[in-house]
Amino acid sequence: MDFLTTQLVGFGGAFLALILDPWSYVYITASMFLGIVFGALPGLTATLAVTILTGFFGNKIPLDYSLIALLGAYVGAIYGGSYPSILLNIPGTAASAATAMDGYPLARAGRGGEALGLTTTASFIGTLIGTVALLIFVGALLAVSRNIASPEKALLALFGILLSGALMSEDLVIKGWIAGLIGLAMAMVGLDPLLSEPRYTFGWSYMLSGFQVVPVLMGAFAVPQIIEGLRHVETGQMVALRGRIMPNFATIRRHLPTIGRSGLIGTGVGALPGVGEDVAGWVSYGVGKTVSKDGANFGKGSVEGLLSSETANNACIGGALIPLLVLGIPGSPPAAALLGAFKINNVIPGPTIDPEIILRVVAIMVLASLTMFIMGLFTARLFVRILRLPQTVFLPVVMVLTTIGSFSVGGGINDLYLMLGVGFVAYFMNLMKYAIAPLVIGVILGGLFDETFRRSLLISGGDLTTFVTRPGAAILLFVNVALIVSQLPFGKRLVALFTRKSA
Amino acid sequence: MSDPLTLRRRDFWTALFLMALSLFFLWKTAEIPFGNTNNAGIDSVRWYNSAAVVPFALFCLLFVLGAVLLVIAIRAGGAGGLRDLGWDRDEMRRFATIGVIMLAYIGALVPRVDFILCSALLIACLIHGYHGGHPRRMVLAAGIMGAAGVVSFGLYPAQADWRAPGDDVFVLFLLAGLLVHTQIHARGDKVARALPWIALLAPTVLICAMAFGFRQNVPARTGLIFAQIEYHYFVTLRPLWRG
Repeated sequence: MDFLTTQLVGFGGAFLALILDPWSYVYITASMFLGIVFGALPGLTATLAVTILTGFFGNKIPLDYSLIALLGAYVGAIYGGSYPSILLNIPGTAASAATAMDGYPLARAGRGGEALGLTTTASFIGTLIGTVALLIFVGALLAVSRNIASPEKALLALFGILLSGALMSEDLVIKGWIAGLIGLAMAMVGLDPLLSEPRYTFGWSYMLSGFQVVPVLMGAFAVPQIIEGLRHVETGQMVALRGRIMPNFATIRRHLPTIGRSGLIGTGVGALPGVGEDVAGWVSYGVGKTVSKDGANFGKGSVEGLLSSETANNACIGGALIPLLVLGIPGSPPAAALLGAFKINNVIPGPTIDPEIILRVVAIMVLASLTMFIMGLFTARLFVRILRLPQTVFLPVVMVLTTIGSFSVGGGINDLYLMLGVGFVAYFMNLMKYAIAPLVIGVILGGLFDETFRRSLLISGGDLTTFVTRPGAAILLFVNVALIVSQLPFGKRLVALFTRKSA
Repeated sequence: MSDPLTLRRRDFWTALFLMALSLFFLWKTAEIPFGNTNNAGIDSVRWYNSAAVVPFALFCLLFVLGAVLLVIAIRAGGAGGLRDLGWDRDEMRRFATIGVIMLAYIGALVPRVDFILCSALLIACLIHGYHGGHPRRMVLAAGIMGAAGVVSFGLYPAQADWRAPGDDVFVLFLLAGLLVHTQIHARGDKVARALPWIALLAPTVLICAMAFGFRQNVPARTGLIFAQIEYHYFVTLRPLWRG
């Protein structure tokens, strides 16, 4: 109880400081607008919004303002993806793919305004559910995570890469793991963290400091998106927006159990390392379809279906920040970009993070959700007009933005070469259905894995049993092995047999 | 959308490439001290604290996963020639032209040419080349950016000469030519009519925000246009609000 009171008092102080600072409103409004635009325009993503803003704001302004800008864009972009899903049947972001299933039929039935009002309210409540979970669990988990030593950290980093590879892969799971391993291998470049031994530098001094996070993020997320998007696409016929965009509180009250359930699912999925908002949206939609009385109407314009996906994808944001802040392991691809922003500000998320930063993050999330709610209700028609912008017009500007952002963080031309190289590789990986998120998570967690794995061995004098003699490490090792086995043909047969028996 | 057989064909070649890459990096890893080394009579590296231990395991694992992918691809009928990889001529042209444009922009123009000018040329080329999906325009756009890149790189390959303004003038000439060309052929096309505004305003606003708002370093500060803006910002404008 004391813990909860301390957290609430701390949050109150942080929120008061935030709302009393006029600059907070400038940054949150601008970044929220930009985030919703990025989310609403098919071809741009939430990860891209956070990545580009990391390049722009990452280390140019105080960390507090930088966090306002990045979290504002993150929340806005996940919400903004619902606009084209509902009006065009094209998801603005992968996170809103499930929203289109019921949003578009609702819009075609002349209920587009109502659908947008509902998604705005659901996204607002979802973000708040995730934020409350963040406030409660981060403090508690931080206390636990202080007992985590190198073996556990190494296994957690490995788990993040394996899980992200398994869940984010569109094709074969092995491809997700290969992408994660390529990311890990990229993190090996430069001076090693324990002995300062140069690795794979090929005599180039720039490589001694390893691959910088921001150019890698820009290359992995922005460049393939730009290359893929620069093609002529006939935009579908936009459904005329009918009705007022206002929340229908009676409907919301009736569907509160659905919203609550979806919020919890979204938060839970977000808390899994490396799994993003798109998975949260689909899982919640699938659960909703199974348990809801209205399940048969899912996909035909069901309000419950719409609320299931939209609540979950926004609740996922708070969940994704939990492993990021507690362990330094991003819970989603945009959270990986946030980790990049923390790193370039010399803040290392994990057990040693300043608890004040966590309270400020929570306060910013609450302010961001309020701003999103207000902007969603009163400026929605403006965002609907932006949907008509062809991607061949805005993507060239995004390329310039990406170049400036990547250059300004490191201040060197070499970062741009790195960005382009990573971008071309990521484009071909996309083409061959390799997930990019595990690669980025591998790059980000590779250093942590290398350092903690070798430190564990160093302390134990090369004794590999250190990964099984510690209870925490043994559990994590089991989880890692179980994850791998569950993806093998033998493991899949075993899981199928088990589920058939239990059914 | 790629069908499963096309994907497996691509996987076959990717797996071979991945295995070759893993072998190359395993060979490079062998250059890092591994095992018990002795420097000037002092034991320095044992296998468990060697900088090579994680990379060695990683590339072995990558090799194994590559081999597994190869087996999956062969079993699914993906072994075969390079012809049926699902890339048609149009897609190859599109990617090749974008590749040339990006390489010319990042590799040659950004370090050497005024950033506003080269970004305006990039935006103009990309919008003109890819809006509407006309193959000839794509080739024209890539040709213009490629020419700018080759001239800039050819004139000033060494870093010491990057500040020279010769290539800036050439890029300005190309940009003006392209914008005039787009306006002549605009014929009621809203995007074509807006192109000069987008191409010139977007990089100017972004670069000024970066340089004067966030006080960040920007590429090619001494470029033809940015040097003038910077001069007038500090000499003409700033004294107005500084009194």
